[in-house]
Amino acid sequence: MKGYKLGIDVGGTFTDFFLVGNDGSSLIHKTLSTPQDSSIGFITGIKEIAQKLNLELSSFINDIDTIVHGTTVATNALLTMNGAKTALITTKGFRDALEMRRGIREERYNNHYKNVKPLVPRHLRFTIDERIDALGNSILPVKTSELDKIIEQLKKEEVKAIAICFINSYLNNEHEKIATEYLRKALPNLFISGSYEVLPSVRFYERVSTTCINAYIGVVIAKYLEALLCKLYDINFNGKLMIMQSNGGVVTPDVARKIAAVTVLSGPAAAPIAGAYYAELLGFDNCITMDMGGTSFDASLVVNRKCVTSTDGSIDRHRIALPTLDIVTIGAGGGSIGWIDKGDLLQMGPKSAGSLPGPISYNRDGIEPACTDADLILGYLDPNFFAGGKYILNKEKTIVLTKKTLGITLGLDAMKTAAGMYRVINMNMAQGVRQVSVERGYDPREFLMLCAGGAGSIHAGEICRELEIPMFVVPDVASIFCAAGMLLGDLKHDYVRSYMTRFSKIDKKKFLAFFAQMKDEAIRTLTEEGISKEKIEYNPSLDIRYVGQFHEVPLEVLMKDINEFNTASIIEAFHKEHNRKYGYELKNEGTELEIINVRLRAVGVTEKPQSLSGNKIKGAESLEQALKCRRPAYIPETDSMQEVPVYDGDILFNNFKIEGPALIEQINTTIFIGGSYNCETGIGGCFVVYNKFLMPNGFEKNISTQKLISNNV
Amino acid sequence: MSEIKIDNILLSIFQRAFRSITDEMSISLTKTTRSPILCEAKDFVTGLYDAEGNMLEQTENLPILSFSLGPVCKVIINQYGKNIFPGDVIIHNDVFSMGNQNNDVAIFKPIFCNDVLVGWSAAKGHQADIGGAVQGGYNPNATEVWQEALRIPAVKLYEKGVLRQDVWNLIFANIRLIMVQEDIKAQIGACTLGERRLNTLISKYGIECFEAHKLELFGSTEKMMRSEISSVPNGTYYGSSKVYYDGKHLGSEFEIKAKIIVEDESITFDFSESSPQTNGFVNGTYTSSCSAITLTFLQMVNPDISHNEGMIKPLTYIVPEGTILNASYPKATTFGNHLCPQIADSIFKALGPAMPNRVTAGWNHLLCSLFTGKHPRTNEKYVDICFMGLKGGSGALQGDDGYDHIGMIDASGGLLDQDYEMYEQQTPHQILKHEFLTDSGGVGKWRGGLGVETFIKMGGDNATMVVFGDGDVESNYGLFGGKGSILNSINLKYPDGKLHTPLSKDLIESIPDGTVYKQIAGGGGGYGNPKERDVNSVQQDVQNEIVTKAQAAKEYGVIFKNESFEIDIIETNKLRTKKQ
Repeated sequence: MKGYKLGIDVGGTFTDFFLVGNDGSSLIHKTLSTPQDSSIGFITGIKEIAQKLNLELSSFINDIDTIVHGTTVATNALLTMNGAKTALITTKGFRDALEMRRGIREERYNNHYKNVKPLVPRHLRFTIDERIDALGNSILPVKTSELDKIIEQLKKEEVKAIAICFINSYLNNEHEKIATEYLRKALPNLFISGSYEVLPSVRFYERVSTTCINAYIGVVIAKYLEALLCKLYDINFNGKLMIMQSNGGVVTPDVARKIAAVTVLSGPAAAPIAGAYYAELLGFDNCITMDMGGTSFDASLVVNRKCVTSTDGSIDRHRIALPTLDIVTIGAGGGSIGWIDKGDLLQMGPKSAGSLPGPISYNRDGIEPACTDADLILGYLDPNFFAGGKYILNKEKTIVLTKKTLGITLGLDAMKTAAGMYRVINMNMAQGVRQVSVERGYDPREFLMLCAGGAGSIHAGEICRELEIPMFVVPDVASIFCAAGMLLGDLKHDYVRSYMTRFSKIDKKKFLAFFAQMKDEAIRTLTEEGISKEKIEYNPSLDIRYVGQFHEVPLEVLMKDINEFNTASIIEAFHKEHNRKYGYELKNEGTELEIINVRLRAVGVTEKPQSLSGNKIKGAESLEQALKCRRPAYIPETDSMQEVPVYDGDILFNNFKIEGPALIEQINTTIFIGGSYNCETGIGGCFVVYNKFLMPNGFEKNISTQKLISNNV
Repeated sequence: MSEIKIDNILLSIFQRAFRSITDEMSISLTKTTRSPILCEAKDFVTGLYDAEGNMLEQTENLPILSFSLGPVCKVIINQYGKNIFPGDVIIHNDVFSMGNQNNDVAIFKPIFCNDVLVGWSAAKGHQADIGGAVQGGYNPNATEVWQEALRIPAVKLYEKGVLRQDVWNLIFANIRLIMVQEDIKAQIGACTLGERRLNTLISKYGIECFEAHKLELFGSTEKMMRSEISSVPNGTYYGSSKVYYDGKHLGSEFEIKAKIIVEDESITFDFSESSPQTNGFVNGTYTSSCSAITLTFLQMVNPDISHNEGMIKPLTYIVPEGTILNASYPKATTFGNHLCPQIADSIFKALGPAMPNRVTAGWNHLLCSLFTGKHPRTNEKYVDICFMGLKGGSGALQGDDGYDHIGMIDASGGLLDQDYEMYEQQTPHQILKHEFLTDSGGVGKWRGGLGVETFIKMGGDNATMVVFGDGDVESNYGLFGGKGSILNSINLKYPDGKLHTPLSKDLIESIPDGTVYKQIAGGGGGYGNPKERDVNSVQQDVQNEIVTKAQAAKEYGVIFKNESFEIDIIETNKLRTKKQ
């Protein structure tokens, strides 16, 4: 038994695979995504891996314990507004809360700024005359006759999903339950989502929006998972399938199907998890992870070795109040298409060639030059060694078409046009990194850049130069970074209950009952997911405020303090946290505290691979041994082509120093070491590339980033 | 000062760091304050200033506060001279020393770096009470400032880090709600955050480096603003609008007259010809009027321009004392902030011919009410401005419909509805309805933003309601063939069935439990001939019950086949091609 664990990350262009065996072996694989049904590429890849390992599919499948899967199915459905036709049923008088978004216009001075198109259009937002009052009393019951009328409409409109969200249901969910169950009976084939099942906490807009997102993508996710499970069944897969969630944890398909909204950031969420792993491995506290895929570029921060989560998130301005990792995504990737704007300026993306028709060089009917085409023209990519030679790139056609489309308008030859494309997309990505660092008040120069995605390390040097980040690191799993990160995810479930009470008036029984309730739910879910009760870790937190304040501060507390009802230590911790965050505390005044929500994160710890680097067989003994060839590549510092050495990265495991400019080729990753950089190989399974002007003393492991700056700059 | 080389990366680091500091201060205030006016509606501004009082950056959640801290900062610097020490905290609201509105109370904290004053952090917020004759501050009967509020000229609350308890007691002995003390503490907290962050930033790069890059930033912002102005044709432009009822004299009317002179890269806003000041509280202050001018002009230029001193340099303001926009001592002025919609109208109307692509049709004017009373469940006092009810639509402009339920231009979408569920916890009232109002968008090729309809069942006996605002007499204007929207209105239905319609500036006491409050906030004005509106947009609006079939036929010339949303093309074409 090999006890394989397999991480599978479906991206816009490629589906990435990372396989780890319990003997320490590992394998990286990539296959083209199949956007019309991404489960096809998923299965194709598994078959291809079996071939690579020279194994019968059946015996390979037998050896797989766990598959962890990140999917962009939900994200894409939201971004492209391609979710299910969804209706909303809410309390009479509140038909428009979803669309009003509390009346915000994010850009105060921009009169052309448009409101978000609501996931449920007004004519599919229905109301019924029911009411729970502010104390949680039912003052007007649900009349099923009203629901019957709506059901007729829903049938006529051929709605596929329904969100149900009544006012004050966080205090008493009876009405919502009645309506939800009634509708489920009447319309058994529809995806029906009650807000009490998704986000049973106070604040109507947050709840209605999150519930609508859940309903909108629920059908899409359910359909996708069904197809996937079917296909896995067909190849006799008996192991566990886990789905990556937006909070950085994993979940079983059964749970994901009910609360589809937890998968909204399923794809990119694994990057910061892997980022935290590598930061620790290399002895850094803080890092920025950048992941350049085929369609999008994601950036996120790891601060003090922790990924940043919040409940303040939104996707394309659709509010989602579930705990989510803080990731900035912009439309820049290998497939990003170059075009000329109204002011005759060259622009890149966000439109992507995807995998079909793909960039020109893929020879699949693509006629618009994409970033990958530019990378090819500039000599960074070898047309005969793309994905290790799996795909042969057509360089002649790329040069001709790039010149013909963009070059003529710009009055430039193909090389200069490609260089322009390269520089523009680098600026775009640098802006994405700025958004996640500078705009959150962090100076990127104090961070280590962790670079992922097959094309990322061709561009990382220039992004870092733009932001004066002194060093970037390319792990050997860079090309499938998220797939690797998925194997590091634990099962994580977040629970919340609104319990609005002053500390002096906490009903201890009730308080503990809420936690017991959430714990029960967690145990039920996690045991269903195969985690034994004693292996569950609990991270409780409380949303607290001073009496009279309106907004609450999330405060992580110890389970011990909850169980022992140790309010004194919780109060003390709150004063401190309030001061740290907001510059003052009201401890001496004796101001009372008030709880709004109680939360529980339950973590089912999963078994992790010992190392992501895998066993290395026999690396090169000297640098010369790894030298493949020399070829011309574009040097941004001098804006010209220059012949550079090309090394075989797949045998560079030992510690060598490479002076830029140079290229390192691995099967799925190419690293461009620009004229400003040097590189050290074989450091914790990583290539460490540092700016020789900003770090004249070179690289030392285990120094803090702060020190790194002061030592070198 | 030694020659500092300007580093372009550092320039954007400074710019974004200033921005993120004032943003962080703003988040801090949102999260810590208690009055819903602050924590929910975000009626506050946070800013950073240099040692001379020049704006480094500000986060004005409400644009009407866009100009309101800088002038006060300069007053403080003049008043104290060298008597400024680390740990000082200064409070200010006085409208006769550059305050903008009595209720808007500012806190300033000096920031020192190696014992050198390098800047100021500041936060100004609309307080739930500020003393005076009426709780909440809006007193339609006021003729002098003392009937409105406690005047606080710049005074130190802390000196060298020590609380001046006597001063604190004096101020808060004159303010009704304890909540206000707590909100002032939150403002001091936000300023402390700003102080910590700016101090860290400047310590890291050095004072000289900071100073040099600051000037470079001001310069580049000023250049951007000047190039925007130079795109407006040179000339003198005139526009005017009306203010109805001063709260004292029924039927009174006043005029706001803008004369705008564009000269190459500079622009002058001259309001000298506006009506003289009133005897009521419908008077502007210099600062609030300049804010209104600034925010309106910002609506017409590139929205990406940084908000620092360079932004306002090319703008000249002429708002003489004694006019309705700049009342002289000791006139009442609490309503002054709410002259913003009329100021904006006069500027849009004036610049319409010069910048037809940038101006909007009329926005919905503010008409709102403020409830006070005792919450029977907690036995505590509450003050609440009914934000959700007051937010109407914005005017359409070339190429786009107006924004639905955005609220008056003073806030431009920065003023948020209360969360319904939190509202029902914090007040004894129950919301019956809060929805878009059908047919409320001013018709046009581009439709005005939608208004809303709000019904609230009031709870707790003896509630008091102050009504203030406008927009209940004259419809807002459409542009280039578009039309205005319906009027604002507020009325009460008492439990005994009696109906009462308050005036636009009014005070109503002893409202009994169970009274139903009904409010309509109108939409924005339309832009362009409605008969040219895209038929599919009309169809969509009708299907969504935003536009009735009757309005579609009458105004848009779109006819539907019976009982369906299918357009009757023949009838529609007939109507649409008919000579007007």
